[in-house]
Amino acid sequence: MLLGLEHIDPNRIAAIDSEGGKLTYGDIINRAKEIEANFSNRALCFMLVENNVNCIEWVMASLISRRLVPLILNAKTDEVLYNNLLSTYKPAYIWKNGELIRTVNPIAPLFPELSHLLPTSGSTGSPKLVRHKYENIEAAGLNISTFFELKETDRPLMVLPLYYTMGLSMVFSHFKVGATVLITGRNMTDPVFWKFIKEKAATSFTGVPYSFQILNMMRFFRMDLPALELLTQGGGKMERGLNLKFAEYCRDNGKRWIATYGQSECSARMAWLPAKWAVEKVGSIGIAVPNGELSLIDAEGNPINTPHTEGEMCYRGKNVTLGYARSLEDLTLGDERNGFIRTGDLAYFDEDGCYYIVGRMGRFLKLFGMRVGLDECEQIIASDCQTESACVGTDEKMIVYITDAAKTQAVKDALVEKTHIVATSFEIRIITEIPKNEAGKKLYSKLENK
Amino acid sequence: MTNLEKYNDIFVQVFGADIALLGDNYSKETVSEWDSVHQLNIISLMEETFDLMLDPEDIMACTSYNAGKEILARNGVKL
Repeated sequence: MLLGLEHIDPNRIAAIDSEGGKLTYGDIINRAKEIEANFSNRALCFMLVENNVNCIEWVMASLISRRLVPLILNAKTDEVLYNNLLSTYKPAYIWKNGELIRTVNPIAPLFPELSHLLPTSGSTGSPKLVRHKYENIEAAGLNISTFFELKETDRPLMVLPLYYTMGLSMVFSHFKVGATVLITGRNMTDPVFWKFIKEKAATSFTGVPYSFQILNMMRFFRMDLPALELLTQGGGKMERGLNLKFAEYCRDNGKRWIATYGQSECSARMAWLPAKWAVEKVGSIGIAVPNGELSLIDAEGNPINTPHTEGEMCYRGKNVTLGYARSLEDLTLGDERNGFIRTGDLAYFDEDGCYYIVGRMGRFLKLFGMRVGLDECEQIIASDCQTESACVGTDEKMIVYITDAAKTQAVKDALVEKTHIVATSFEIRIITEIPKNEAGKKLYSKLENK
Repeated sequence: MTNLEKYNDIFVQVFGADIALLGDNYSKETVSEWDSVHQLNIISLMEETFDLMLDPEDIMACTSYNAGKEILARNGVKL
């Protein structure tokens, strides 16, 4: 059975949520058996999830049963994106609010190893999905539980969404060892969140850079949380000063601070910085996860073997996903990557083999840990404001160049509405002309990035 | 700029808010974008604008336009 769940005591608590819900490993297996008994064919199912035990039960049971292949979505997915997904992928089933509904769509064929689908972007309107296989779940469960040294008695606090690759990988890796996931959909500014972490004695916390900014603002360093032993970070580069503050705090207080790197194309974690290097090598993404391999290639595609030489970072491992889907027909496709991916990130490694990301080749940012496509934002501006734009920036702020000053507010409003990201993340700048080459391609390098 | 204008400007910066709508009905319940990210952003700007250091209790309580005013009052800022 997936993740070896049949070896875990069925009475063990698999998950507890902040609204009082509880789930045992036996509950998940029984639900999986029920799905198996009721479905003779594999079928696509849109699952609209929130962070609670019921959603964990259904997602995991679907995966174990191999009958329902879920597209895991935020229950609060933007309506335009949701309708776009519905018309593109025509699911035979929709699971929401605890109910499984049969739609009018026929049951379309699916690749036998296709396990689940995740959106590439949580915010902008693209219906492009990442296709995962069952082997990815096993690999994520094994690799992640190995380097974090997870154990049965762990009680990780899960605030990352279940529909987000890193949140889902938390579930896989902790279920692999029979731990108890403490899941909450509450904001970190909600008193219930803090009551939950204290009362349930969470042993670890996993967040994106913004989660740690919140912890810092909530005066985390003055809190008494004796059970909390491990802090892990992923979802984009963290600001150096804050990273160091957490690394030093953990070093001085007998806790572990582990920064990680990953992409949804590789079922979350791909690299980790061992706690012993957290302070010394702050800002590094560290080394490849167990059973994975990082490498660098130059512009001609040749391997780079010398330290401090920049190149495109590549990854090999069983957690590399099958590929993307852009249509219903794509769900029959097999493995397009065969365990290897070019990450699109520019990096170098040091003498110890620890990697450092220096930039990105692709056109996307990670604002608050959410991947935001720059080209998609330009499309939003074009369709909502009828004006041309050029979007650039860093993981702290997106800079939007437009030529029509009168549209400044409208552009900002459109981006805030469509991406649900705070308005201060977007800086609108006016220029006389968007620089382009003779072929009409935008020349982003001619724009100021900072 | 008066303190009230500075306070209102925080909501313009964070939500792109229309000043005319700021009032009793402007809260976490009525503004769909108002999540923890936005809430922390309001707090950061309040701390910056009025040179304050707010407590976790204040941060958690900052769930509406009026609540923000009360937090400022508690911390000695007159609007």
